[in-house]
Amino acid sequence: MGIRSFGKRLTADNLEIDSERLCERFKEYDFVNIADSQSRTRTKLAGEIKRMRIKPRSGIPAVELVINDGTGEATVIFSGRRNIPGVDHGKCIMVDGVPHRDGGRVVILNPAYTLLG
Amino acid sequence: MVISPSALKRFLIGKPIASSEDAHHRLSKKIALPVFASDAISSTAYATEEILIVFLSLAAVGMTAFDNLVPISILVVLLLAIVVSSYRQTIYAYPKGGGSYVVSRENLGRSPSLVAGASMLVDYILTVAVSVSAGVAAIVSAFENMLPYRVELCVGFIVLVTLANLRGIKESGALFAPPTYLYVVSLASLIIVGLYKVYFQDLGPIDHSDAYAQELLSGQKTLTIFFFLKAFSSGAVALTGIEAVADGVPAFEKPEAKNASKTLMWMAVILGTSFFGLSVLAQEIQPLKDHEGEIKITVLAQMAEQVYGGRNIFFYITQFATFGILILAANTAYADFPRLSSIIAKDNYLPRQLMNRGDRLVFSNGIIFLGVAAGMLVIAFGGIVNALIPLYAVGVFTGFTLSQFGMLVRHRKLKEPGWQLRAFFSGVGALTTFFVAGIVVVVKFTDGAWIPAVIIPTMMAIFLAVNRHYTRVRSFLQIEEGYIAPRRTHTVIVLVGSVNKGVLQAVKYAESLRPDRLLALSVVGSPEEKMKLGDDWAKYGMTAELETLTDDFRNLTDTILMHINRIDDEDSDDIITVVIPEFVTAIRSQWLHNQSALAIKARLLYRKNTVVTSVPIVIE
Repeated sequence: MGIRSFGKRLTADNLEIDSERLCERFKEYDFVNIADSQSRTRTKLAGEIKRMRIKPRSGIPAVELVINDGTGEATVIFSGRRNIPGVDHGKCIMVDGVPHRDGGRVVILNPAYTLLG
Repeated sequence: MVISPSALKRFLIGKPIASSEDAHHRLSKKIALPVFASDAISSTAYATEEILIVFLSLAAVGMTAFDNLVPISILVVLLLAIVVSSYRQTIYAYPKGGGSYVVSRENLGRSPSLVAGASMLVDYILTVAVSVSAGVAAIVSAFENMLPYRVELCVGFIVLVTLANLRGIKESGALFAPPTYLYVVSLASLIIVGLYKVYFQDLGPIDHSDAYAQELLSGQKTLTIFFFLKAFSSGAVALTGIEAVADGVPAFEKPEAKNASKTLMWMAVILGTSFFGLSVLAQEIQPLKDHEGEIKITVLAQMAEQVYGGRNIFFYITQFATFGILILAANTAYADFPRLSSIIAKDNYLPRQLMNRGDRLVFSNGIIFLGVAAGMLVIAFGGIVNALIPLYAVGVFTGFTLSQFGMLVRHRKLKEPGWQLRAFFSGVGALTTFFVAGIVVVVKFTDGAWIPAVIIPTMMAIFLAVNRHYTRVRSFLQIEEGYIAPRRTHTVIVLVGSVNKGVLQAVKYAESLRPDRLLALSVVGSPEEKMKLGDDWAKYGMTAELETLTDDFRNLTDTILMHINRIDDEDSDDIITVVIPEFVTAIRSQWLHNQSALAIKARLLYRKNTVVTSVPIVIE
């Protein structure tokens, strides 16, 4: 590690450190990077669950996950559910679905999913 | 019983006075003289001594010192006459009060007025420091066992005067008149009795038999022009404080200008004669004083002891009168400094807090600042008058110069009948005082005159910086033609720890804000916690979206701020309200709660487009 990168490590904020960690973690899988995902194309994306949101809408709940693979974030929405067993903060998940862009976000609705642990 | 801070304040300062009770009483000449003249007249207590120190200790001219005392005092009296004649015109020209700052602001423009303002402020601080030090010197001359406590006494008196002014004693004549008149009478009696005894009863000089006195008097050097000027500039401190009358014209009974002018003349006469008389007396009695402070007793005390034949009642009266008038002189600065700083603050060159009036209708912040600054000076210079004198007088003479130059410009502009003669007087005054200010800076530069020479420009820089800031803020807040406040997207974020009564209230409150988007944000520690939160959220029928996240790096404040930033980025040009439910308990247990809420609030305080709202949950 050179002095420069050492200096960078000291000044980089937690977000950058976390991105590096995630890139390292998902290198072994052969999934599409979230940053490179194509809209309206069936894609397999993976990431660590960073945030979860419960959104009650006129009585029908929905769970929104935000996953991050170090290259970017994607929002995964499972409608009609309040809770998915095994899906928790910090867990890794692979989703297989059709992403689309909503504002600046990558959104996938009701994909098939596999828990990676 | 616990004494609360407010009770302590009430005890020290007194009960508050309503603004409407700000009675403005006018002063008659008899009362105005002691009120405004105490500062100027009090300088006779140390001016002669300062001249002697230069001659005896620095120039080491020995006995020749006493021959040069009278010529110097004649020069000082002449200077006094010039300055006073110029100030008479200021009084007529500015019946609303014409301090150097106002006169130079009206006639010379911004930079000169700031120089004048800074000089005068510095000088008021020094007036307090010098006067209190000299007053304490008078006391310790009479009671020599108090000598080791000189600095403590000085600081103590500064605290007392500061407190008295915070209570608002103002310029009450009943308090000022007796000590000032007592001092004038005791000086007159000292001079008259002294000169009578010298000329008709052959009273000789003080006994100079001890070794140190012999050493002081053994100086054989010839007097150089440098030391002569140095002695003159020390003597010129006698003029400090004569601008007070011109500053305070509105306080006089009608006709203000005429009464003020008469009072000024009386003051000049008293100051001039007593200073001259003391110099003549000192020439005969030959008191000694040195630079290092080996001789502890003031020149005035030495002369009083010799004239009255020992330490009798007359000696003590003289000492106490001296002390009294010097404390009053310090008190005068307490009236002038806050007033001037409030005027400068009004012109946006000093923080607006200096315009605030306290419980007792006085400019509290200015008073406190003055007290602290003077106290630090006294401590730094050990309460020794001689050490403070070189700092003094620079500001006064700068102020005089600018004020009189301002008058000269005014005469040239207005061209009132007979203006040439008046302009001539102002011009001579400006030139002379400028010359004196120059002398003071040059001959005493290394002794300490460099300090005001550095501080005054620094203060000007501060004035300008403060002004720049206020101007920028004002122009930013200015409403332009056709400006309409924009309607912004409103996002409300409620910070949630766990679901409890307080949080339910906070969410209800957040809903009442009718936001475009309502979001509850919670940092959870474990999946179980998250589960419970989600279940409770459903159980109590909450309809707001609930976002959970983990604190990966165990820094709650940073995590929450980061997510607030992210939510803010989702909408451009929106306004965010962060609602924080906070428990309010008795003060003694308050520290058990809200530590993180406090940190988050502190960080959000200066965030753009962010409103922070605490919903207090009072626990009874």
